[in-house]
Amino acid sequence: MMKTIKEINEKIKKGEAVIVRADEMPEIYEENPKRAAKEVDIVTTGTFGAMCSSGALLNFGHSDPPIKMQRIWLNNVEAYTGLAAVDAYLGATQLSEDRGFEYGGAHVIEDLVKGVEVNLKATAYRTDCYPRKEVETAITLDDMNQAWLLNPRNCYQKYNAAINSTNTLLQTYMGTLLPNFGNVNFSGTGEISPLNNDPNYETIGLGTRIFLCGAKGHVISEGTQHSPKTGFGTIFVQGDLKEMSPDFIAGATIPNYGTSLFVGIGIPIPILNEDVAKSTAVRNKDITVNLFDYGVPRRTRPVVREVNYEELFSGKVDINGKKVRTSSQSSMKVSHKIMETLGQWVEDKEFFLSKPIKNLPGDSEFRPLKVKEETKFVADIMIKKAITAYQKDSLKKVSEILVKNAIDQIPIVDSNNKLVGIVTTWDITKALAKGEKRISEIMTKRVITSRKDEPIDVVARRLDKNSIGSTPVVDEDNRVIGIITMADIIHRGVSK
Amino acid sequence: MTSKYLLKYPTGVADSPVISKTVLKTGVMMNILRANVDYGEATLIVDILGDKEEQKKVVDYLRGEGVDVSKLEKNITNNVEKCVDCGACIALCPTEAISFKDDYSIKVNSDKCIRCGVCVEACPLRALEIVRA
Repeated sequence: MMKTIKEINEKIKKGEAVIVRADEMPEIYEENPKRAAKEVDIVTTGTFGAMCSSGALLNFGHSDPPIKMQRIWLNNVEAYTGLAAVDAYLGATQLSEDRGFEYGGAHVIEDLVKGVEVNLKATAYRTDCYPRKEVETAITLDDMNQAWLLNPRNCYQKYNAAINSTNTLLQTYMGTLLPNFGNVNFSGTGEISPLNNDPNYETIGLGTRIFLCGAKGHVISEGTQHSPKTGFGTIFVQGDLKEMSPDFIAGATIPNYGTSLFVGIGIPIPILNEDVAKSTAVRNKDITVNLFDYGVPRRTRPVVREVNYEELFSGKVDINGKKVRTSSQSSMKVSHKIMETLGQWVEDKEFFLSKPIKNLPGDSEFRPLKVKEETKFVADIMIKKAITAYQKDSLKKVSEILVKNAIDQIPIVDSNNKLVGIVTTWDITKALAKGEKRISEIMTKRVITSRKDEPIDVVARRLDKNSIGSTPVVDEDNRVIGIITMADIIHRGVSK
Repeated sequence: MTSKYLLKYPTGVADSPVISKTVLKTGVMMNILRANVDYGEATLIVDILGDKEEQKKVVDYLRGEGVDVSKLEKNITNNVEKCVDCGACIALCPTEAISFKDDYSIKVNSDKCIRCGVCVEACPLRALEIVRA
């Protein structure tokens, strides 16, 4: 049994197409696979979440006299202009020059879709054909010639979940991660996620018409980092910003990480045969991802466990016998609205399916970056003979060690060389003022430490974040084996 | 019955055991939800565990000690215009004051909120706000 896209479009025209949502399909299919494949024509899918690899390609038209825009800003967010005179690409994650993380390219795109006027500022060098040096004006989306959403990587099939094993709060692109395995963050919409419903790319390809932020858009290629082999497919999408709705596109701030764009995508899956029907019958419990420990900021993060979307959506995930609450970073409510809207469009004969002119690759993998310079680790540059003092040492003795070695802080260890605290010259000054005498009373007990197998960039970030100049390097048993300072990282390492 | 109150201590009061004194004098229990104590001043959020009359007794006593007391009626609001119902806030809330409704809309239970602000900082859409006391 086979159906064609042409036949399904005929049914849409006659108002006879049978449309079901991706979350309804598993039950229909399991009841009778053959009948499901025969009777269902279209399964609607949907997702609405932060998709960083997004942006808008804009054409402003010419001023008189004209300008070859060399640098441009929209509401103080810079756009890329290495194109012709008045074309620019505004990236969603580009930060505003005056509002930092609170406003970026994504927010400009949202403002444009809402019809809000934005400030356009451009500077240039003069040429014979483009004599103007600068221009500043206010424009709306309607004033532009073309304004396309052009997103090189959207609609991840699924995404690995995140947790934090460290004892400090982390703010990552996966959102806020509480310390000590405090929460699990995940994104994606599981069984209704578009690419989970056609993981073999039997129907989705170059030219597939889709719901894109309330407009009709298209898939124009596989997305960057497309990795269908591992279940992490992506698509490159394009659509007209002028037709989009603020209900399905929104600028977002990922705290202390950057800005991103919430993008709404719905793909109609034509049920061409039983194989496609089977793919659309996927359930949340069958879609698994790794739960990664973001406490380790490396390319390969440790896997805490495997989880499926049924567990993630349940609100709690079991981690070593403890129930840890989950937070979705994608909106199920808006995703459902996308499925419904797409279905309504088809029913109203406003949306017809398109046959892809080229299939997307189903076997590619995402490869890492080759970096010629070797990664430097703490062990490569740390000072191995760390100067330490004992907890039982007198204030006078510790002061003498500090002076003798011209250092301003010193790790405090017990008789087994295990780290118990740290004392700075400021602590000593305070102790003198307050009349305290014991090291154990004046030392800071919660010490920021590092391990010898950590890359120095990781330690540089830790020092910056905690506004400190050095950290003791400890082994698995918390014994001090060295010390690493920001000065060493700058002079002997490569980190800037 | 319980109600939340915001207590602000002016300079001088923070050095005295004012909470202990209040509990001993009034016989009404208090649960300290959040406390920010610094030299010379402090801000506390407490649940007063008692009926209207008992609550008034506690409030009057605290005011007599020089503490600035205000009842917290509404703690947190969700701007539905901005909110996209993603749920990034849900697992961050220490008192489980935020949850999904059946239709995946975000529901904020202002009574459970202890005004810690973690969700406000984490919200990607900047849709949550602590209501000024």
